[in-house]
Amino acid sequence: MADQFDSPVDVEADEQGLSGLAQMAVAVGIAVFTLAMLNAHALGAWADGLEPGARTARISAVVHKLADQAATRGLDGPRAALKQQWDRVKAARWPDQASGNQDQR
Amino acid sequence: MLFPTLDFGLFFLPVLLLVWTVGLASNEWRKIILLLASWVFYGFWDWRFVALLIASAAINWGCAQAIQRRLDDGRSAQPWLGIGVAANLAILGFFKYFGFFLEQLAPILARAGWGRDLPVLEIILPVGISFFTFQGMSYLIDIARRQTAPASFLDITLLMSFFPHLVAGPIVRASHLVPQFKAVPRLTRGMVATALILICWGLFKKTVVASELATGLVDKTFFDPSAQTGLDLALGAYGYAVQIYCDFSAYSDMAVGLAALLGYRFPRNFDQPYRATSLQDFWRRWHISLSSWLRDYLYISLGGNRGGVWFICRNLMITMLLGGFWHGAKWTFLIWGALHGGVLAIERLWREWRPEGFPALPKPIAILIIFHIVVAGWIFFRADTLDGALAYFSQLWAFRPGLALASPLLCGLIALGLAIHFTPPTLLPALGRRVAAWPAPVLGLAVGLAILLTDAMRFEGVAAFIYYQF
Repeated sequence: MADQFDSPVDVEADEQGLSGLAQMAVAVGIAVFTLAMLNAHALGAWADGLEPGARTARISAVVHKLADQAATRGLDGPRAALKQQWDRVKAARWPDQASGNQDQR
Repeated sequence: MLFPTLDFGLFFLPVLLLVWTVGLASNEWRKIILLLASWVFYGFWDWRFVALLIASAAINWGCAQAIQRRLDDGRSAQPWLGIGVAANLAILGFFKYFGFFLEQLAPILARAGWGRDLPVLEIILPVGISFFTFQGMSYLIDIARRQTAPASFLDITLLMSFFPHLVAGPIVRASHLVPQFKAVPRLTRGMVATALILICWGLFKKTVVASELATGLVDKTFFDPSAQTGLDLALGAYGYAVQIYCDFSAYSDMAVGLAALLGYRFPRNFDQPYRATSLQDFWRRWHISLSSWLRDYLYISLGGNRGGVWFICRNLMITMLLGGFWHGAKWTFLIWGALHGGVLAIERLWREWRPEGFPALPKPIAILIIFHIVVAGWIFFRADTLDGALAYFSQLWAFRPGLALASPLLCGLIALGLAIHFTPPTLLPALGRRVAAWPAPVLGLAVGLAILLTDAMRFEGVAAFIYYQF
């Protein structure tokens, strides 16, 4: 049973190598870079949702350029393939079950 | 600003950078950065309520100083404790319950001919108000009980405003977090690895499991139970049990993970609640920070276990009724609280009067019974009105044949949401230890790919967390 003040992050691990702070900095940096490359379209969608204005237009141009470059190099392929597979799983129905209006995206 | 959005990511990364650069030079500056960031985070909903947050912190700080002065002088802390608790309750009562009481009063006043004099007020509920007012009250009571010392104005304001827990808990107590604010935080590899696992896992639970179940099944079954088949309604109820767990525990996981990346430890808020073998056990595993708050500050204040069995049952019932009312000013929440209080009382009576040698229920049966009591309670909790909840039960009882809504994926997500309750409790620390040993670039790549995978499966847009409304 959990103690009322114990924390899930109280994990004693081998602290050899990089310090915790350096470990976090490198890991977060690489995760952000990975997402910026493989999921650049999400940045584009975010920029499209910003309030229109001169600064927003500049941000949007930079972000869309990055997304277009990523798409040209096929970097958006893994996400698109994953999404396609997921949509197939979502569309599956039991035998005799009518295809419902499940996909609300 | 919701955790599983790019807006939040773009807010959090600069805060993280500032905290671990500027904040390393001065702990006071670190706290000021976190405080300003928390106000920006809260201001995204409504800037006006940032003032309420600051005012609330100022009241609690002032009352805490007054309580301490009286204790130092050997006098009773009661007057200032009463004023402080009343001030917190007044804030909560006005924003959360004023409309409800006015609504209940309206027919009586109308009958007396005073209906026209009722004020017409549309009161906006500030996000997280139930959490930060409870935090304020526990702080004052802890000082009066000499369990904690008064904090500086900066520390108490940061305690109540700290953005990872601000809008949906866990209810972190001053005795737990203020000492952490006083020291310069230190990150360990184990902490970083576990925090990143919790953030990714929380993201998956909220944006895939909870959102998919809500949109594909639960919202439809609760919207019009009479149009659904019996099996869909049963799966809708199980689906809501999984949805609310995956939604709320996801928020807690992400809050714990985000706070850990900033260097702070938050307490555990969930511990596989659907494997509970009694309702008392359930409340030791579900929303632990609220249940322990209710126990320490309400149940014990009412007399707790210091009395006969009927006195204990009364205290259990009052505690759970008020616990239900804490969730919102609705009859459905009161009935949910009454159901839990009633079953807790029955459990207590059974423990008291159980014949000697009477065999205990086998563990799987006990788990199954408690789970279904909890699911029945969730139907009241989820329904918009009392009539809606009763209609759900009556249609479930009628059990129209067929299956229209619950697809294989939705059934699979319900099964997954229940299966995670039966994994070994040591799974997370074991995983954290293993991941902590990975080289940082591998860890970063794994986190990036996990978020990408979740993003490919998630809905466009994210619904607010269920507990934001409380």
